[in-house]
Amino acid sequence: MMTLAPQQPTHRDDEEDRAIPRTDCVADSAGGLTFDIADRGEPGPAHLVLFLRDSDQRVSLPLTPAGDGRLRAALPSGVDVPEGRWDAYLQVAGGEPSRLSPGLNDLRSLVDRAPTADRIAVRIPYGTKHGNLTIRSWERSPHAEAGALHIGDGELEVTVETYGTEPTPDAYAEFTDREESAPAVRAELTPGQGGFRCAVAYGALRPGTWDLWLRPRGENGPRVRIARLLDDIVDKHPVFVYPRTRVETDHGPLEAEPFYTADNDLSVRVGAVS
Amino acid sequence: MHISFLIHNAYGIGGTIRTTYNLANTLTEQHDVEIVSVFRHRDEPVFDVDPKVRLRALVDIREGGADNGHADLERPAKVFPRAEGRFGQYSALTDRRMAEHLGAVDADVLVGTRPGLNVHMARQTRRGPVRVGQEHLTLDSHSPALRATLRGVYPRLDALTTTTEADARAYGSKMRLPGVQLLAVPNPVPAPGLDPADGTGKWVVAAGRLAPVKRYDLLVNAFDKVREERPDWRLRIYGGGKQKDKLRALIDKLGLYNHVYLMGPANPIEPEWAKGSIAAVTSSLESFGMTIVEAMRCGLPVVSTDCPHGPGEIIEDGVDGRLVKVGDVKAIADGLLELINDDDKRQRMAHAALTDSERFDPSRIAERYETLFGDLVARGGGSSVGRMRGSLHRTRGALLGGAYAVRDAGRSALKKGRTA
Repeated sequence: MMTLAPQQPTHRDDEEDRAIPRTDCVADSAGGLTFDIADRGEPGPAHLVLFLRDSDQRVSLPLTPAGDGRLRAALPSGVDVPEGRWDAYLQVAGGEPSRLSPGLNDLRSLVDRAPTADRIAVRIPYGTKHGNLTIRSWERSPHAEAGALHIGDGELEVTVETYGTEPTPDAYAEFTDREESAPAVRAELTPGQGGFRCAVAYGALRPGTWDLWLRPRGENGPRVRIARLLDDIVDKHPVFVYPRTRVETDHGPLEAEPFYTADNDLSVRVGAVS
Repeated sequence: MHISFLIHNAYGIGGTIRTTYNLANTLTEQHDVEIVSVFRHRDEPVFDVDPKVRLRALVDIREGGADNGHADLERPAKVFPRAEGRFGQYSALTDRRMAEHLGAVDADVLVGTRPGLNVHMARQTRRGPVRVGQEHLTLDSHSPALRATLRGVYPRLDALTTTTEADARAYGSKMRLPGVQLLAVPNPVPAPGLDPADGTGKWVVAAGRLAPVKRYDLLVNAFDKVREERPDWRLRIYGGGKQKDKLRALIDKLGLYNHVYLMGPANPIEPEWAKGSIAAVTSSLESFGMTIVEAMRCGLPVVSTDCPHGPGEIIEDGVDGRLVKVGDVKAIADGLLELINDDDKRQRMAHAALTDSERFDPSRIAERYETLFGDLVARGGGSSVGRMRGSLHRTRGALLGGAYAVRDAGRSALKKGRTA
């Protein structure tokens, strides 16, 4: 689903377009990106255009000479790039946009990010399985960042850091059943090293998929999805993998494991023993 | 010079393919270079090829390709050696196409890139071109049957290159290669197109296939010891492979899921090295050690097991990295902690790694090949001398059998005779 072929501009299939321009990206720690592509000397102004999938939104960034035969475009962190997948194209003068392919993605400044801003802007460039360049964007405020997870003794403990909100004494964490067939399960929030901690006994969760939320001001305040966004890894699911735990419950033996969703939000899957 | 490479499949992904492009792209600055790929299974090569390098294929097996479904693809090869690992992919058609190519090739120098192709080159090349066989794997990784085949054919080559001195010594002592110039030339590794690592990130990085020979189980166990002392450091292992589930289970068993991450394959790998501060290699065997050089070129000191064959020829222990005992979890952990706990030492070794790895730059490696090729061409290479040498060897081989001492004497005598 994440790597559907682009639907918007049609790709010209003539010989000239075979040489897909390769794009080098450099990320800064604030969430900004710069894009470098080879200047092929085509006349007219060139733009790097980002198209949001399943939408008519686009962001057009001017490409200007940067020396060494390179053209450069910048996407500062302040530019509004709503959450989603943005496919990157090159558009020269009024011509048809052509899909860009990924070159070197220098994302070292995204590793172990600890932003100071209240509003979290994350843009991670990556190569799709079709070999195209796409930017995954998240913009969240407030935000609850998941850190280390500890699994032990039929229990899951999650470390959470908050951005754009400060938990009050009423704050708690909440596990909600995605099918809404079971009532939400509350977990106490305690201050600790590297943020707040909350723990839930797997036995309290019925079979299903449970989403994790933070209620920083108690039940009357906002509900903030707990997610892992502040690093260089576009797709957490295959990398952040946690042990599956067997628990004895009133409904019989179950297996539970935390996982990251396609949007890198944190959830827990509870099911029958396989 | 006109230089023609012969490669299994220039359209795939792999160390030999990347190495061949790196070399060809550099040699093409001064020479007329072509890469002849036995197979073509996709439209464009994965790696960058300089537009000046001519690339063509002998057998087009793309969907809709001219040879897709050719009946002779199913008939077994007779020239390509049965004992070679890729025998199953070769056929009567590849035998014929290579015979046509090698029988008519217009080149000063032919370079074969794997044993089976070196055999074709030795047996089917017309008079004239110099024949240089490359061995990207090691002699002791070949089966006895393949070694026996190569022993009979390699003497007809003009030169044989290995990626390490250790392997060149093995060929020198275990094969009869009278008059064949034997030379170790490391694989070229270009400078990465990005700034080197700054050494501040608390990450150890490893990259390679998740295969038993890489011994990542040792690395994960060693990192358990690292965590006890330095829980602020973490490990990323890039690559895919059959050991993944086993490693996953080990990580879970040791409770290392917040410290050790299996990242999956990454291409290009350079930006991933640049995120780390130390690289780790825990293999029981490295025919060369390409990842060690890659990491060093990105400014990482490498902690590596001192396994055969490459690491000890790449890393200067205590200067630009650390060589530790093979198969020893504690030694690996100690090596990592030595660099983790001493920021100055780590930074010093990182700088040395950058400088010392410049010797693997494609320009330097290409120079060594140029010298070799130039010398061989000047001598007349595979002309009548080479043919005569081939028949001489066969006669002597029959007379002397495996008498190494006599064989060595004969080799130097022949060399003298040739230079005179």
